[in-house]
Amino acid sequence: MVRPLTKRTRTGALYTRPPEIEIEIRAALREDWRTLRRRLEITDGRSAEHVGSECLVHLLRDAHRKGDDRRMGAVLQVLLGRCEATLKSTIPESEPGAGEMREAVLGRFTELLARGCVGERPEELDFYECRFNRAFQTLRFDVVDRERRRLGRRVQVPRADDGDGLPLSEEEGLALLSEAGRTPPTQEQSALLEKVKEAIEALPADERNAFVLCRLYRYKAESIDPAETTAAVLCGCTGRTIRNRLSRAETKLWRSKEKS
Amino acid sequence: MKPMPSLGAQRREALYALAMAENMPDAAVLDEIVRRYPQFSRELTEFAVELALESLVEGAADGPSADPTTVSPAVSRAMSLFHNRLYALRQAGEAAVAKSAPSYAFMENPLLDLDRRELRAVARGIGGSTMLVVKLRDRLIDPNTIPDRFKRRVSDELEIPVEVLTAHLEASPTETQGSRQFYKADHRPKQGGRQSFADAVRSSGLTDEQQRHLLSL
Repeated sequence: MVRPLTKRTRTGALYTRPPEIEIEIRAALREDWRTLRRRLEITDGRSAEHVGSECLVHLLRDAHRKGDDRRMGAVLQVLLGRCEATLKSTIPESEPGAGEMREAVLGRFTELLARGCVGERPEELDFYECRFNRAFQTLRFDVVDRERRRLGRRVQVPRADDGDGLPLSEEEGLALLSEAGRTPPTQEQSALLEKVKEAIEALPADERNAFVLCRLYRYKAESIDPAETTAAVLCGCTGRTIRNRLSRAETKLWRSKEKS
Repeated sequence: MKPMPSLGAQRREALYALAMAENMPDAAVLDEIVRRYPQFSRELTEFAVELALESLVEGAADGPSADPTTVSPAVSRAMSLFHNRLYALRQAGEAAVAKSAPSYAFMENPLLDLDRRELRAVARGIGGSTMLVVKLRDRLIDPNTIPDRFKRRVSDELEIPVEVLTAHLEASPTETQGSRQFYKADHRPKQGGRQSFADAVRSSGLTDEQQRHLLSL
């Protein structure tokens, strides 16, 4: 049996791993060293034999409990290698202090792993056995956000501009965003969504926040009902400011009507 | 009584709650979590924006892959740190933990980037006042007089190894961003001698009960 998680939700229910991860862990725990070692070398995430990161966290804790240093070391190396690769792709080299920030996140995660293994605050690691990428994204955001704030910097992703902007009118763009997540995208839609994401990320932070809150979360810019959460409330500004930012964002994002 | 989680732990708890939600972007989920953690509404909003953008391409492409047969210098350092921390934590001795504690380059003054709200939260967490936290930030207290248990409490609250805090407290008092402001005198004040911990506690606007408690550590 796979050791149950101990982290509880706010309502007191125990967190549970998704069933497919539970199955993967159960199978991996039964595997001998040679099989595991072979599987750890598989980098193609689509391969049925690829070991998921949630499973790696469990295997690491399990190996520590059993005093299996060989297994623990092998799993740790692969897990940290994946984290480093993720950090390289999410904290661009162009950002001042990128190396330090990556190291700080990796250090924090390592600290979390060590503490979790010896039973100090082990619940936090439970998130990593449920949805590793989201949990690691959280840790990265927390460390990087604090560092950027300390340095008084706003995140600004350099735009990979091909000179033409997005090949979408406002109507086409909003329709694409509206469909995203509801139905599996076609290959063409996936490529377009990737471009749209990059373009939104390249907007100034204020405009990006206004656009995402109003267009993806579908918040109103403002409301006469003081109890209603709006983009203006979340951004701590007026509704007029939100509308101005949204307008600027959409002018930059979508193909102008004249070009259509 | 269960101790209150540190400010950093509370913030991460709020962010994890958002990250673990299904079907992002979901305004109802964001509303609920911001209501639950209003003190972190800025962080939650920024993170919600990041999650929403990530959801646009979730599952569309594989994440970055790493060659599992090679070990980069950063991974090698992290592995070494893991084993050192594991050893130190197993020893459970404070000295051992401190000795192997990681050094974060940007944590030279771990209190420097706290805004007013965070200073107040740290003050609450350690059972002190904002003034006392500012004295710690500006290194105005003689480190030799600060009890280890108090240092431990502060480092727990800040979620940093006690060794990082100790290194900060033992450095010479320097002007911090905060201490450069609000001078009313004709001349800028000179950095004077440091207060003892007891004097700092007595002159930081604490109640008698708070003072008694801190001085008993």
